[in-house]
Amino acid sequence: MISPSANPSAGAVAGGAQPLVDLRGITKRYGAVTALDNIDFGIWPGEVVGLLGDNGAGKSTLIKIMSGIVQPTAGKIYSRGREVRLRSRRDSYELGIETIYQDIALVDQMNIMRNIFLGREMTDRMGFLRMKQMRQTAMKVLEHTVGISGITSADQVVKGLSGGQKQAVALARAVYFKNRIFLLDEPTSALSVRETEKTLEYILQLKGEGVSSVLVTHNIYHGYQVADRFVVLRLGRKILEVRKEDTSIEELTRIIVEN
Amino acid sequence: MRSWDLIRRHKAGNIAIVFVLIQALCIGFALALPERFPYLTENNVQVMLKRIPPLAVMAVGVGMLMIAGEFDLSVGSIFVFSSFVMAKVYNTWVVNPFVAALLALVVGGLIGLLNGVIVIRAQIPSFIATLGTMWFWRGANLFFSGSVTEPFLPTGFFRDLFCATLGPEGARFMQAQFLWLFAVLVLGYLTLERHRFGNHLFATGGNRQSAIAIGVNPNKVKVIAFVIVGVLAAFSGILATVRVESVSPVQGQGMELMAIAACVIGGLSLTGGEGTILGIFLGTALLFTIEDVLLLLGAPGDYLQGFIGVLIILAVIFNRITRKE
Repeated sequence: MISPSANPSAGAVAGGAQPLVDLRGITKRYGAVTALDNIDFGIWPGEVVGLLGDNGAGKSTLIKIMSGIVQPTAGKIYSRGREVRLRSRRDSYELGIETIYQDIALVDQMNIMRNIFLGREMTDRMGFLRMKQMRQTAMKVLEHTVGISGITSADQVVKGLSGGQKQAVALARAVYFKNRIFLLDEPTSALSVRETEKTLEYILQLKGEGVSSVLVTHNIYHGYQVADRFVVLRLGRKILEVRKEDTSIEELTRIIVEN
Repeated sequence: MRSWDLIRRHKAGNIAIVFVLIQALCIGFALALPERFPYLTENNVQVMLKRIPPLAVMAVGVGMLMIAGEFDLSVGSIFVFSSFVMAKVYNTWVVNPFVAALLALVVGGLIGLLNGVIVIRAQIPSFIATLGTMWFWRGANLFFSGSVTEPFLPTGFFRDLFCATLGPEGARFMQAQFLWLFAVLVLGYLTLERHRFGNHLFATGGNRQSAIAIGVNPNKVKVIAFVIVGVLAAFSGILATVRVESVSPVQGQGMELMAIAACVIGGLSLTGGEGTILGIFLGTALLFTIEDVLLLLGAPGDYLQGFIGVLIILAVIFNRITRKE
């Protein structure tokens, strides 16, 4: 059995500190399809990890396992040296994980405010919603932190928003509930250049505050801009784990695209 | 024009406009031709208002469950079974009628809980599961009642609480049970629009995967919704049983579909995630208004159900068209 202290990359990356989340030998099968094959993946305090790979590499599955909404077929998960189970989003939230999903995970029929606070509503003791407080907070987060134009009211129904605006709402939710670990699955795919820059800046700002991030992206340049370390997946296997100073954009590109 | 926009944009705005137009039309005709169209007589208004509360109370529960994306076809059977328990216990042991009524609500809630557990644990569509429990409890109703109507004749305060007539002299058109309906509507509104649970109901029916990803447990939400439906179906049964002073084992049959029809007319989506309490109430009221108008116009009783069927289809088409704009 592998114990968390035997992590090969632990000492190398963060000078012996314990990882916030440490996945060991994670395998996920869907019937005959193996989405993840024996993956080790750790997140250390105050780092940004670029999780790279082509379509179908298993990046989103890995994010969903860390978010507690997909259960691995095999493998163990540790947090600060203790084995943990992530059976639901609530479990991962308690570990300090906040996720922005690739498919955005908004409920189209509901308005922006209700989406942002879904599952974590501001309520009184009886469970009744503090509408005014939530509305004001939602607008404040959207305006100041995410800086997305075109959203005029937190009462707008999500269905009518553009792709970028939806992503902004998902981002606002994660920003508001910011935690110790920030998982971002293609957060910038529908954003404009300005909005993308703002999001990447925000990841670095969070790092300054001690929040670790995992950035899943197709865009190696975005990854290279903010990540300290890269993990490259291909067809469910980890094919490379490397620190930024030991690699280059050219090398990463070559490894991702080569067959 | 701003208030007009607000009405149009409200989620139940379209159905509200239709409702007001139809009422205006009916009242206009009734004032112009009171002999031919006695819509506004004390008797007619009273009869119409008496019929609304039981179905509307049931529809509030059915609608909340529909918003979560599930159906309950067993509400008509719960309606009878819980009322039957109430009447039987009251007649046999001469308990306080309030205790008997409370027992009915508990029975309704437990049957609802059973529905919820079957749907979630066995992972079968609620449409099928509650089709099964609908017949199961219908059978239980016949078995326990021996196919005989059970009287329920409490007097005094208990009866007044439901059946006292309200209104000025000469226009005592409303029964106290309308106030109970009002209370259920207000509670339903607070639950759906102002409470955390309502938020989770809409999320569960609107996008189950997103709800899970964000930390809502749809199974828990659905089970609670099934319990609420059970309790409201039982309450609907109490309203009806107190008024007609008895409960018959074949009562309530068809109510499950009437409740769904009322919800659909009121703008609820059959796939979940959308709906309002106002819409549910107006849907129910519209159903009875149209029925009443047809009766007043002397439409043959045989055709009545046919007209209602046409109305439901038209309402759904109307909701679809108006929502697209």
